[in-house]
Amino acid sequence: MTVSEQYFPQEPTAPKVVTSTIPGPESQRKIKELGQVFDERHAYFVADYTKSTGNYIVDVDGNVLLDVYAQIASIPLGYNNPALREVAKSDRMIRAIIDRPAQGNFPGADLAEIAGDVLKAAPKGQKFLWSGLCGADANELAFKAAFMYYQSQKRGYNAEFSKDEQTSVMANEAPGAPELAILSFENAFHGRLFASASVTRSKPIHKLDLPAFKWPKAQFPAYQYPLGDHEDANKKEDARCLAIVEDIFQNWHAPIAGVIIEPIQSEGGDNHASASFFQGLRDITLKYKSLLIIDEVQTGVGATGAFWGHEKFNLSPAADIVTFSKKFQSAGYFYNNPQITPNQPYRQFNTWCGDPARMILAGAIAKEIVKNDLVRKTSDVGDYLYAELAKLAAKYPKDMQNLRGEKCATFIAWTLESGAKRNQFLADMKMAGVNIGGCAEASVRLRPTLTFEEKHADILVKAIDAVLSKK
Amino acid sequence: MLTASSRRATRCLGQTLRGVTTAATIFPNEPSVPTVNTFPGPKSKQELASLARVYDTTTAYFLTDYYQSVGNYIADVDGNKFLDVYSQIASIPLGYSNPKLAELARSPQMVNAIVNRPALGVFPSTDYYEILSQGLLSAAPPGMDQIWTTLSGSDANECAFKAAFMHQAARKRGDASFTAEELSSVMLNQTPGAPVSTILSFSKGFHGRLFGSLSTTRSKEIHKLDIPAFDWPVAPFPQLRYPLEEFISENRAEEQRCILELTQIFETYPKDIAAVIVEPIQAEGGDNHASAWFFQQVRTLTKKYNVLMIVDEVQTGLGTGKFWAHEHWNLDMPPDMVTFSKKVQAAGFFYSGKIGRTKEGYRQFNTWCGDPSKALLAKGIIEQIKDYDLLARAAVTGRNLYDSLAEISVRFPQVSNLRGKNRATFLAFDLPSGKERDAFLVKCRHAGVNAGGSGARAVRLRPGLWFEGKHAEVMLAVFEGVLKDMYK
Ligand SMILES: Cc1ncc(COP(=O)(O)O)c(C=O)c1O
Ligand SMILES: Cc1ncc(COP(=O)(O)O)c(C=O)c1O
Repeated sequence: MTVSEQYFPQEPTAPKVVTSTIPGPESQRKIKELGQVFDERHAYFVADYTKSTGNYIVDVDGNVLLDVYAQIASIPLGYNNPALREVAKSDRMIRAIIDRPAQGNFPGADLAEIAGDVLKAAPKGQKFLWSGLCGADANELAFKAAFMYYQSQKRGYNAEFSKDEQTSVMANEAPGAPELAILSFENAFHGRLFASASVTRSKPIHKLDLPAFKWPKAQFPAYQYPLGDHEDANKKEDARCLAIVEDIFQNWHAPIAGVIIEPIQSEGGDNHASASFFQGLRDITLKYKSLLIIDEVQTGVGATGAFWGHEKFNLSPAADIVTFSKKFQSAGYFYNNPQITPNQPYRQFNTWCGDPARMILAGAIAKEIVKNDLVRKTSDVGDYLYAELAKLAAKYPKDMQNLRGEKCATFIAWTLESGAKRNQFLADMKMAGVNIGGCAEASVRLRPTLTFEEKHADILVKAIDAVLSKK
Repeated sequence: MLTASSRRATRCLGQTLRGVTTAATIFPNEPSVPTVNTFPGPKSKQELASLARVYDTTTAYFLTDYYQSVGNYIADVDGNKFLDVYSQIASIPLGYSNPKLAELARSPQMVNAIVNRPALGVFPSTDYYEILSQGLLSAAPPGMDQIWTTLSGSDANECAFKAAFMHQAARKRGDASFTAEELSSVMLNQTPGAPVSTILSFSKGFHGRLFGSLSTTRSKEIHKLDIPAFDWPVAPFPQLRYPLEEFISENRAEEQRCILELTQIFETYPKDIAAVIVEPIQAEGGDNHASAWFFQQVRTLTKKYNVLMIVDEVQTGLGTGKFWAHEHWNLDMPPDMVTFSKKVQAAGFFYSGKIGRTKEGYRQFNTWCGDPSKALLAKGIIEQIKDYDLLARAAVTGRNLYDSLAEISVRFPQVSNLRGKNRATFLAFDLPSGKERDAFLVKCRHAGVNAGGSGARAVRLRPGLWFEGKHAEVMLAVFEGVLKDMYK
């Protein structure tokens, strides 16, 4: 029995589409109803999660779709995973839900164990944990840590704040509120609150009309595919982009306290960069005493062939801060330098400081992944799927350009000719029984769960073939 | 030892509660008095030290045993049991181990919400409408019928700021679409796409600690130091004298001064002001009150200058004898947005009309767009509040408690500026200095009451809604004892 068969004996064996449109009539009615009170206009359909199982999402019209989008890459182990359902019913979870602690002031007796279970999955070299609530929050907390660290290195970790700092900060002015920056990369996506939106460089619509910090952006390597045929050109591209980073460090008008980067730029189009590019970046951050923040919100938790996407780069020394959310269900960051913990209490602080209910779930997710060897299995399934998709790409070269994600497990994407064609493809795929997502202007990305297996891959490949062959 | 007033408080409450479900019915195992053996206890110290190896514990008061915490009493791992009038920084609404919430937490609907967390914006769950409309929206502030859900107080406020910025830009843009210049400049974080627009807040306001919310937070240096901030305007918040009824004309003059300054800012501030954010009672800043008149003026002025008004009910929500503290103001026109979190357990903002909705999609958006498990909990909380009329009851408890504290402040002049009359148990008072306040809180903990401070020298009370006369009595006795110890 495969893992998905063990988890989900009742998982459907094939998608089933029973309406002539998706959203179907009942979804449409429910979207309208929800729309009276909640901005519902992005809804693709209304789901019935009680009926969804494993890799299949069921909507209120009874459509059963193979889900390779998985709540924008955030369902780790399939719908209604029985192991997670057990955890959800445990006393510990009930307690965490009804007596939600302000964890900074009144941590619960089981926090050491709960945090310990999360830390068991920490990237190599990371020792400490701070918890937040979503990806944007995790990144912004990491920025705060970076800014406080930067100033504390300048001032001395135990030094007092100056009078000037204390008065100016209440007017939001330097030196108390210093002009410091976080460097990010073109096409990056790190969230949509004010600081995270300032480092997000994906699309105008994510940023328009919001005041932003004047922070610098560098360029992320844009490779030529297939990689094997363009090694030299891509190496030059790495060097070009690293030179830009170095130039910004030398010339930006304000100090750069941290650099944030995704191991694979996800919302921005599944853009990959080489291990040597990342090591080059690590070297530059060390040289300029800036913290390297790796945003693993979308790449983390097993989907790229390692538990954390950047582990494949074998960075030396390890990254300074690694942020997570999405598939881990809990959010926050890992770090390894004790001086990244602020020198005084109540600096990195808020009411809840995370959510033990979600941390308990994260610990359980990590445990299941290890127990069932799901990182390796997902990697194998990914290799199988990539090979099948490569065949399709040869058959439909225009509709499957720049197939990427080889040896990155199921973290696979490709590009169509235009945004309109991509959107049509996504809609057609739904009617063919597959819920699938896009990214950037004209790309398609696969983000199945870690219980996605060869049999699911076969269904996906067949559906793609069917949709593309009709065009 | 009971004081005369606390005895009276209990009597009054006994009358109103005859034949009504009380905390004793809901929490049969709630202790009747605190127990403190050694505090801080050895186990708490030792286990906190080991937690500190992986998690910053510098703000921890003690290690809590939530399994042993019941009703208004919080237990630590050493078996100490404290009457809790701080309630997880004002965020536990209905006591610990509330059996009805536990039942809800065990329900299939909750299990579903925990294990199948949806990206609500794109794949909403079939029960989300019902959860919202029968829950949070059944307690929506007057004039508001729509909601956006988030995850904490800080991000509730920031999403409200985003809504304000986008709404104001759209108002100016009219039917036109984005210009090419906007589309290119925004990717460089430059104007006009990333405009120089601002949110105005008040001195001593607290609105959270992410970058947008922290830029509006004006409480204490330590909350803000070393973090880059937006250069946004700040207006003075009235500094009133208490008891309010004894300083009516002085206080009106102070409020007029603040309104005048606010008008000046609206007239002369060189940048756009998209919205004003204000707390009904400035909580972290020290429980600073202002009159309904002041807030009515703010509403009138914001309308006049086309500035949106965001009321931050993160800490006041469910806490002042009404669902929302701004309901005490009797505004002619509702605020534009009302944010919530903490005791509601879910977070987000209410609004009406189109303010929370942009013309284009994917602007107010993120992965999860809230958390149905928290919205479901909020529904259970609101139902329980309504079923047992807990807001009205807290108002009565609070009135009596205010009287008792007033009496104490007569005997102990060090207890000053008692405030929160007619705001249920949302009460606070000052001690002569921050140092004495801190000492008072520590001594109270040793004597079995877990209370919190705020501002420079205030003690704030933030009990839950099952806090009754008998709990007030225990608290008052401890306060008296500590005050005697400190000042007699
Ligand atoms: C890499 C990355 N970082 C941050 C975020 C923001 O996460 P959230 O939507 O939970 O705020 C996302 C969301 O797509 C992401 O992909
Ligand atoms: C009035 C007010 N607004 C916002 C916040 C921030 O909430 P959170 O700590 O959940 O981010 C607080 C927290 O104390 C608050 O009291």
